[in-house]
Amino acid sequence: MLDIRELTIDFPPSRKRKAVRALERLSLRLAAGESLSIIGESGSGKTTLIRCVSAHVPPTFGTVSLFGADLSKVSDGELPALRRRCGVVPQDPYGSLPPSLTVLEAVMEPWLLVKGRGDRQAGERKARELLDELGIGREEILSSRVRLSLSGGQRQRVAIARALVLDPELLLCDEPTSMQDASTRGDILRILQRRQEAGMAMLFVTHDLFLARKAARRGLVLYRGEAVEEGFCRDFLAAPKHPYTQALVAALPKLTSPETTPASESGA
Amino acid sequence: MISIRNLSITYGRMTSRGRSGETEAVKNLTLSVEKGRLFALAGESGSGKSSVLMAIPGLLPEGTRVSGEILLDGRNLAALTEEELNALRWRRIALIPQGAMNSFTPVLTVGRHIEEVLDVHLGLSKSAARERTGELFGMAGLDASLASRYSHELSGGQKQRAAIALALACDPDWLLCDEPTTALDVITQKGIVDTLKSLVDRKGVGMLLVSHDLPLAASACSRLYIMKNGALVEEGAPREIVARPKNPHTAALMNALLELEREE
Amino acid sequence: MRDLRTRWSFWCLLLMVLTALFGGRLFDAPPEREVAAPFSKPLWIDRDLPPTKELRLTADAPSLRVDWRFAPPSRFSIRIDSSAGESGRFVEWRKPGALAPLRLAPLKAGFEADGRDIAFKRSLGLPPFGDASASLFSEQGEYELSLSGEGDFDGSVVVKLEGGRWGVLGTDQRGRDIAALFVAGVRVSLIVGIFATLLATFLGTSLGLASGYLGGWVDSILMRIVDLLLSIPLLPVLMALAALWGKGLWQLVLILSIFSWMGTARTVRALVLTLRDAPYIEGLRGLGAPSGYILRKHLLPETFPVLLATMTLGVPGAILSEAGLSFLGLSDPRVISWGRMLHEAHSFGAFTAGAWWMLLPPGLGIALLCLVFLDLGKFLEERVDPRLRKGVRP
Repeated sequence: MLDIRELTIDFPPSRKRKAVRALERLSLRLAAGESLSIIGESGSGKTTLIRCVSAHVPPTFGTVSLFGADLSKVSDGELPALRRRCGVVPQDPYGSLPPSLTVLEAVMEPWLLVKGRGDRQAGERKARELLDELGIGREEILSSRVRLSLSGGQRQRVAIARALVLDPELLLCDEPTSMQDASTRGDILRILQRRQEAGMAMLFVTHDLFLARKAARRGLVLYRGEAVEEGFCRDFLAAPKHPYTQALVAALPKLTSPETTPASESGA
Repeated sequence: MISIRNLSITYGRMTSRGRSGETEAVKNLTLSVEKGRLFALAGESGSGKSSVLMAIPGLLPEGTRVSGEILLDGRNLAALTEEELNALRWRRIALIPQGAMNSFTPVLTVGRHIEEVLDVHLGLSKSAARERTGELFGMAGLDASLASRYSHELSGGQKQRAAIALALACDPDWLLCDEPTTALDVITQKGIVDTLKSLVDRKGVGMLLVSHDLPLAASACSRLYIMKNGALVEEGAPREIVARPKNPHTAALMNALLELEREE
Repeated sequence: MRDLRTRWSFWCLLLMVLTALFGGRLFDAPPEREVAAPFSKPLWIDRDLPPTKELRLTADAPSLRVDWRFAPPSRFSIRIDSSAGESGRFVEWRKPGALAPLRLAPLKAGFEADGRDIAFKRSLGLPPFGDASASLFSEQGEYELSLSGEGDFDGSVVVKLEGGRWGVLGTDQRGRDIAALFVAGVRVSLIVGIFATLLATFLGTSLGLASGYLGGWVDSILMRIVDLLLSIPLLPVLMALAALWGKGLWQLVLILSIFSWMGTARTVRALVLTLRDAPYIEGLRGLGAPSGYILRKHLLPETFPVLLATMTLGVPGAILSEAGLSFLGLSDPRVISWGRMLHEAHSFGAFTAGAWWMLLPPGLGIALLCLVFLDLGKFLEERVDPRLRKGVRP
């Protein structure tokens, strides 16, 4: 499904900044139905990775094979066909939806683009199912314009629905639950898990180790473009090896052992 | 001590047709903040927590209705005039609003930005201001050499620390922080929280921290308030609330969070 | 849009549009017709001055009374329109307090006489010098004009008294009713203002979209053209083009729009640049959506709020440009516009004659129309940018 070997991406220097090496010799493989968590903070190259897999950023060195096709050898005309089999949930929920459409139209748009107007009814049904599943099935929301009344959390869920409407074989999500409240986060992860059991592969990018562990069994920790630790997510938390991973674990605020502020424990 | 009693805040509501109707953002809230301690106010987005914070120094938008009392050492802040509030702002009560780190003017270096504030509010001379800026940077955990950088040259964490330095300029007794760690990386977040905690310990300021990140708020404070839909639903020591939440919403929330934390 | 009804400018604009469409019906004569003496003052000032009046006698109205409380009219004329006269009948004029009426004229078909005609004066027994009207209207009081005797008179007797006052807004140097001209001028100002701006907006939006979306050399070339056109001083070029292409109304609209699309193009281009790289647009392009689809369905609708506001604010500019050009004499003289009225006032000596009623109405009209669109534009801007509104949670 996805085979990345020694992927290196350099951004050439521009007026604003020097040359940047966004990814360095990254390798990962995903089979159908498998998921992988990419744990990284800003500047780690995680967003560049996603954009590379969806063929918006070309590799400088190394190969990326998507559904068996080497992306650097595929012609521009053939790329849309490959991209349609991926779903992408971008990091910024405010840029990921067209503001002038209604919520329902926004979710249906990829379907209508790919399958044409003839299949409109089926597309609408599918969009409604998805939105309902994600908890935003109320009619007032479906028919309201995206720009007007959605909160960040709602937008993110609509963006997820939009990414899932074409039943992608591979889902690329970049912090898809960042704007969600704690209660809905679990719901969304369960929805994604159901799809995985039905055969969808997933690349789940997040900076939250707990979320990464819940989303996928395997993962890799990305720091400044390099994979510093790979393996099972639960091992990252239980026994982190690389100092960066250790710092991440230490920095996570945990309810199970809240720290106390000196001169304060008397509470009340 | 800042004591808020029966605070209610009502905004005019914006729809596509213009202003119509009102929203009650805060309903009859009572809480207090003590000096020398870090108190946190947590809640989902839209729960009204930012409104509570902005009400204290009187910075709600024009036309908002506020009722109730906000007592600072016996004076009701909600009843003061604009001039009286101005005398208190920045000097006794400092606010770090949401997105403060992105609010530095792009045409001045961060150092100059703070020096200007010191000039305007305290009348310090240029050299005195520069020295003080160095001190403030230190308190906020920033290297003094960063004062000559522009805000777009700083990382997110550095910008947030600069915002903290700015808030400390006039040596306030109270520090109000609105989502100081949102949009920052986990490791940077911890650094900021540690800095804020050290400010409380070493300088004895009283701090009210507002955040939607419940685990973060719980790990930072000594007393936790949780708001939902404009009302206070839980208050107490963080450990207590985690172990024995009284409100069913909080209980559900804790379950969801703990489920993530624990191994299944 | 409910708030729109509370804005004074909305009602004012509505009034002006209605005036442009139906105002002509308020007047019986077309605006170009001369109705009174040149530079007549409006009726409501200087009430000692005689007004211009027309007295008409017909078979159904064989006598008319007129209460004359002013100085005598400057000129007196009488005309009999009929197919056949009636012998033995006369047009009679009775002065106030007189026992017997004067005989002004026999009821002959086609009879015409003016107060300066020597023959006419002689027939009235008046000295041959001076205007007959001075003695016909020797005192203030009630006069009566009537037909003597009885018969079947099938025409009309028209007596014209020319004075120094007429109408609501007086007359211009040719004796045309200024109120009628003013009403006719609304139409031109509105047409030029709105159409020139519409055309400019259409041009600016298309070019701005193309420039912003396509980028590359298309963008560079278009932006250099914009810079070029912006740096050219407008008035000399307009004057030259008016001389070259003729002074017609639609040529004017075309010329004005060619020189005002640039601002819109820049604004639209800037908007497109910010939207073009949004993740959802990139995603759509990646899925294979054609550029036309993206431009039409996503980018163009985003420009509407801004366009509406800039368009409304652009109308005053067009109105002023038209007024300016007309004032300089560069517009079609057959087309009545406020600017043209000012031009004629200026060229034909309104200032020396002290005829302020020729200058104020068109001048104030232009100012008012501009203010109306500025206020509407401000209203629309407020709707687009919520930060400009008051008392609402940001």
